[in-house]
Amino acid sequence: MREVNGDRWLDLFRIEARDWLRANKPNHIAPLEGPESRHYVLDWQRRQYEGGWAGLTWPREYGGRSLSVAEQIVWFEEYARAGAPSTHNASFVGLNHAGPTLIACGTDEQKAFHLPKILSGEAIWCQGFSEPGSGSDLASLRTKGRIEGDELIVDGQKIWSSYADIADFQELLVRTDPDSKRHAGISWVICPMNLPGITVRPIRTMAGPSKFCEVFYDHVRLPLKDAVVGGLNNGWKTAMATLGFERGTASLALQIKLIEQVDVLARDCGDAMLAPRIADLRADAAALKAMSYSFALAAAASGTPGPEGSLIRLFFAELSRRVSEAAVDLYGIGSSELAGDHGWAYDYLEAYSETIAGGTAEIQRNIIGERVLGLPRGKA
Amino acid sequence: MDFELNEDQIAILHGLDQMLAGLQIEPPRHGETLVYGAAVDSELASSGFLDVGREQNFSTLESALIAERLARLPVTVEASSSAIIGPLFPPDEVERPLALAQGSPLVPARFLPQARSLLVDLGDDLLHVSVDPARVEPVDSLFAYPYGRLTRLEGLMTRSLGRGALAPFRRRWRMALAAESAGLMRSAMDTVLEHVKTRHQFGRPLGSFQAIQHRLAMGSGTMNGTYWLAMRAAWTDSDSDCAVAATYAQDAIPTFTYDLHQFCGAMGLTLEFPLHYWTYRLKALLGELGGSSAQARAASALTWTRA
Repeated sequence: MREVNGDRWLDLFRIEARDWLRANKPNHIAPLEGPESRHYVLDWQRRQYEGGWAGLTWPREYGGRSLSVAEQIVWFEEYARAGAPSTHNASFVGLNHAGPTLIACGTDEQKAFHLPKILSGEAIWCQGFSEPGSGSDLASLRTKGRIEGDELIVDGQKIWSSYADIADFQELLVRTDPDSKRHAGISWVICPMNLPGITVRPIRTMAGPSKFCEVFYDHVRLPLKDAVVGGLNNGWKTAMATLGFERGTASLALQIKLIEQVDVLARDCGDAMLAPRIADLRADAAALKAMSYSFALAAAASGTPGPEGSLIRLFFAELSRRVSEAAVDLYGIGSSELAGDHGWAYDYLEAYSETIAGGTAEIQRNIIGERVLGLPRGKA
Repeated sequence: MDFELNEDQIAILHGLDQMLAGLQIEPPRHGETLVYGAAVDSELASSGFLDVGREQNFSTLESALIAERLARLPVTVEASSSAIIGPLFPPDEVERPLALAQGSPLVPARFLPQARSLLVDLGDDLLHVSVDPARVEPVDSLFAYPYGRLTRLEGLMTRSLGRGALAPFRRRWRMALAAESAGLMRSAMDTVLEHVKTRHQFGRPLGSFQAIQHRLAMGSGTMNGTYWLAMRAAWTDSDSDCAVAATYAQDAIPTFTYDLHQFCGAMGLTLEFPLHYWTYRLKALLGELGGSSAQARAASALTWTRA
């Protein structure tokens, strides 16, 4: 924390970030779905990359800047204050968990091919983990990957694959050893989304857009050498790294944005009855900030986030919901603050997904109980 | 104390159920957030169920029972206001369907696209506006009620119903809000109970996990609390009971709806799963009449003013 607030270099970095955002932040509203959303997200990512603001902590050889988490935090703080486009968009998976997974577990060739494309706004990634029968019980997944020569033939179905309809690549979990049960015999593979045999069906959510998708695989042929990340049949371990990023550090920008939003509510609150509630939210936001920053610094030191990320994921998810509920109360259901694709009403409905995506709040609680607190493991 | 429905009340609800069973009620199709139950509305208008509160032998309790039952439907229909607030006024002077607003006649209001009357709490007067549909512009909303806004007031027939009409209007509005919430909660809960009994993860039904059982048990308490407070408010028709019932309902809605969605996972967040038929409406009621903090303030003022 001292490093973030006190360092002269960081002060200059902050000013530079603020100036750049002021001059370059898009002025038009981000589309929430479809091809327009893809163009918008890639254009904005490209602009950040060309300005030197993408992949601040990613290795320099893959297009990043090899800076510390402190600079990353400063950038996210200024990003949130500038009202720049939400990072919860189609670039989220690539930047926040597929990319970091490749850095941690990918081959040099995989890193060299994919990481620069993610950073420079050339490729969108989606996730293919959940299946209709395998949600919280992810290890029961049934999508098959059969090895045939130097190819992997994929058959099956995934669901809740956000932005799969506009994605270029997917981080896909398949069962490559049919004789193994549960966690064994799974592989984490890179699946190009333009291959023959892939069908994508968007699903509309209650928050409005059709960003969730169902993906069907009918004899999809992947080149084995390029596809597998972290070793054949070792995909559960790779997936745990992905989920570690997803639950740990992926939401850092969103957490910082939420803290900013609480300040907006505090500023707008003229209701004496609501004031104590907003004050509670501010206290929680301050706690979230301290936990997030300390966790991000520790995760950077160790290379991969530990199970403590579930604490932050859960705290953030539940605070998101309470903040948007308070906004609905504060502004009123018919207010302009709630209207539109990016109003509080959207945030309120979208907040429901925060305690489901990346492992439900119940799964996070199990992880905290068993892996952080060291409690005995319960029966599944 | 008598918590059993009497013969008349049972007969009214039985008649209502029979009427509804005779209608082809189509829930929203995939991708739709809102279906206005025009056929239900039409039948209600002609059948007299919404006028029960005007009958000498009946009271707001029967009106609230009807509002609660109609809120359980998978389609939206303007019934609570007509059944509970409508009887305050002569039917030929304040025609249904009703839309309600607070502060200004030009704010977005539920059911305004269907309404023939708009009742506006101006703070120091209750204003009645005869609605010309040509003057209503629809307001996009994610909350499954049809919302609309008057483009301008000029040229519309308006009249003051007087400052004295405000207290009963607010009282009945709160009663309607609580009764409608109770019906919505019931159907939403039924949907989720069915889901957690049939959806399996880790080799067993979701509903067998204690973490889920405990929170659904709490939700069941909330649902019953909302229902009984709404019924008490309808029985006494008192300002403070109505404010307490509305406070309880609006306070309860966020956690109640959140838990129900949570236990349906990502599927519950889509428009392909029926839960949104009821929870969208609950979320809209959450902010009505200033939200729970305004209700709590009113409950406090109305309950302890003379203490």
